[in-house]
Amino acid sequence: MCLNHNELAQNPSHFEDSEEATQAPAHRDIAWNDYKDLIKGMRFFDPHIHMVSRTTDDYQAMNQAGIVALIEPAFWVGQPRTGLSTFKDYYSSLVGWERFRSSQFGIKHYCTMGLNSREANNEPLAEQVMEILPLYIYKEGVVGVGEIGFDDQTPAEEKYYRLQLELAKEAKLPVQIHTPHRDKKKGTERSMAIALEHGIDPSWVIVDHNNEETVKSVLDQGFWAAFTIYPFTKMGNERMVKVVEQYGPERIMINSAADWGISDPLAIPKTAALMKMRGISDETIRLVTYQNAIDAFGKSGQIDVTDFESGYAVDQTEKFHGNSILRGGQQPAPVKDFLVIN
Amino acid sequence: MSDIIKQKIWEIIASHTSPAEVEWLQQKSVSTPGVSTPGVSTPGVSTPGASTRGSSAPIELMTAFVAAPRFLSKKIINTSEAEQAALNLEIPGFSVNGWSLVRLSRVWLLTQLDPSDKEDYTKSIETLFDTAEMNELVALYSALPLLSYPDQWLFRATDAVRSNMGFVFDAIALHNPFPEQYFSELAWNQLVLKTIFNDKPIHFIEGLENRMNEKLAVTLSDFAHERWAAGRSVPAQVWRLTGKYLNPALLADMQHLFDSEKEEDRQAAALACGEATLPAANYLLAKYTDLEKSVKSGALTWADLEH
Repeated sequence: MCLNHNELAQNPSHFEDSEEATQAPAHRDIAWNDYKDLIKGMRFFDPHIHMVSRTTDDYQAMNQAGIVALIEPAFWVGQPRTGLSTFKDYYSSLVGWERFRSSQFGIKHYCTMGLNSREANNEPLAEQVMEILPLYIYKEGVVGVGEIGFDDQTPAEEKYYRLQLELAKEAKLPVQIHTPHRDKKKGTERSMAIALEHGIDPSWVIVDHNNEETVKSVLDQGFWAAFTIYPFTKMGNERMVKVVEQYGPERIMINSAADWGISDPLAIPKTAALMKMRGISDETIRLVTYQNAIDAFGKSGQIDVTDFESGYAVDQTEKFHGNSILRGGQQPAPVKDFLVIN
Repeated sequence: MSDIIKQKIWEIIASHTSPAEVEWLQQKSVSTPGVSTPGVSTPGVSTPGASTRGSSAPIELMTAFVAAPRFLSKKIINTSEAEQAALNLEIPGFSVNGWSLVRLSRVWLLTQLDPSDKEDYTKSIETLFDTAEMNELVALYSALPLLSYPDQWLFRATDAVRSNMGFVFDAIALHNPFPEQYFSELAWNQLVLKTIFNDKPIHFIEGLENRMNEKLAVTLSDFAHERWAAGRSVPAQVWRLTGKYLNPALLADMQHLFDSEKEEDRQAAALACGEATLPAANYLLAKYTDLEKSVKSGALTWADLEH
């Protein structure tokens, strides 16, 4: 999408390019064999990734690279939804099938629930969605209301953003804010101001998709600043390293926001490797690629690190049944290197 | 559903929880203001729904069902033999052993729904099914033997057999007396075959013996041939489903098993032939004197192959 983003403008991905970003991509992709030793033994938590759009190969690679847990925010799936049922099915898949699929690859799956800003503009539908949303946000493993906020910054977007902030407050859940692609700086400021206006403690709010222009104000006001490493677009991992060098690890976290666009589910391990190459301390790397996300979203009371910190067991049946039920089906380990398929 | 089973479940919950958890559950089952709540007027007397159903509005109970993990600790409940026996007295085959506290509490909350208006009752439960996450589905399917209007849940139950979510499948297929009682033969056979296909132990299926049938035995033979053709194996204990129905085709499978290099396959063949009425099966078994002896003496039983 970096080469012909104009043609894709009618159907933009999670991120959209700016001309500037396209011309000078500050992203470096590195091969597994070149960085696997650098991150050996590290554990990662990806607090923003859309697994419904990813393949089993991705799950296997993520598990291999040390990603032990992730958060899947409810988002726009690319194709506008035309009715309540598809919202319902999507939300159910985030806590049902996708959660199970993830468990099969040894990765603990959490999610945030919300009405995304783009679809907030379809008001008749948005109204219906708001009615069923409370049924979902109290569910086990729902660690926040998200991703919500602004896209075009319309009045309808603002209305549903505010309603969902109230919902988060009532349910005592963190808020995951999507900041707009266009007019980002103003949109970010406006999102934060509204959250404060609703009396929400900024330490319960994760402002996502930051860049060098927005990060200072976000941190100064006490919010969490999340950075999305998305190849060729807003934030490259080379630039991310510089941000961490400048601001340190406090209240900063990295995510991949990998989705159905050209994105990278291994953005976190790769960025960790890059930080390691640049001499950033292991503790700082741990904070921005693992611990800070747990601290922020853990306020939901829904994250129990014992579920994944010493490796998430692929076969969880023991926990559920207290006996040894054998499990057929998928292999958690990558099998791509083998010619013979058994 | 009898009030006794609700009471028994409540007793198990109460003996495995903290006072705060008990209080939360009681509150959720009787929280509609202005409605009198006999049986729970004294705090600390843990008997809501003992002689009466909880008086909460459905939406209160439904929200509690969803939010339970936020208020209850993560723990697994192991029931005593006495508790197990008490449950079985009410509903044969119903077991809560190894359930999480959340699962058990969710099932109990479902028993607090007022079934007197069929439409309202089924609508509440359908809504929970439609919006359920994985663990909620497990609780819902576990609760089927306790719900009113069992015919109403038959489609849901057969749908769970189609689930690719292992835990959801387990909740209907294993340790659950609902399928034995209500599934058609077709649905039953599908359940058993899928359990075998998923490499899960069939002896955890309630009613396995009672619902054996010839069609299942014949289909099993086809299934085994496919597995063998792919160079895979079939767990030895599945042949327990065939003994009574041995025919010439199945007898050929028995020969295949007797020729197997795995001891358990040979044992399974001996056990199946020992149960057969087909004379040819008895002749076949007689060729393997040691195995015949262990089968006839009772030294070898299907229980030896259960894993």
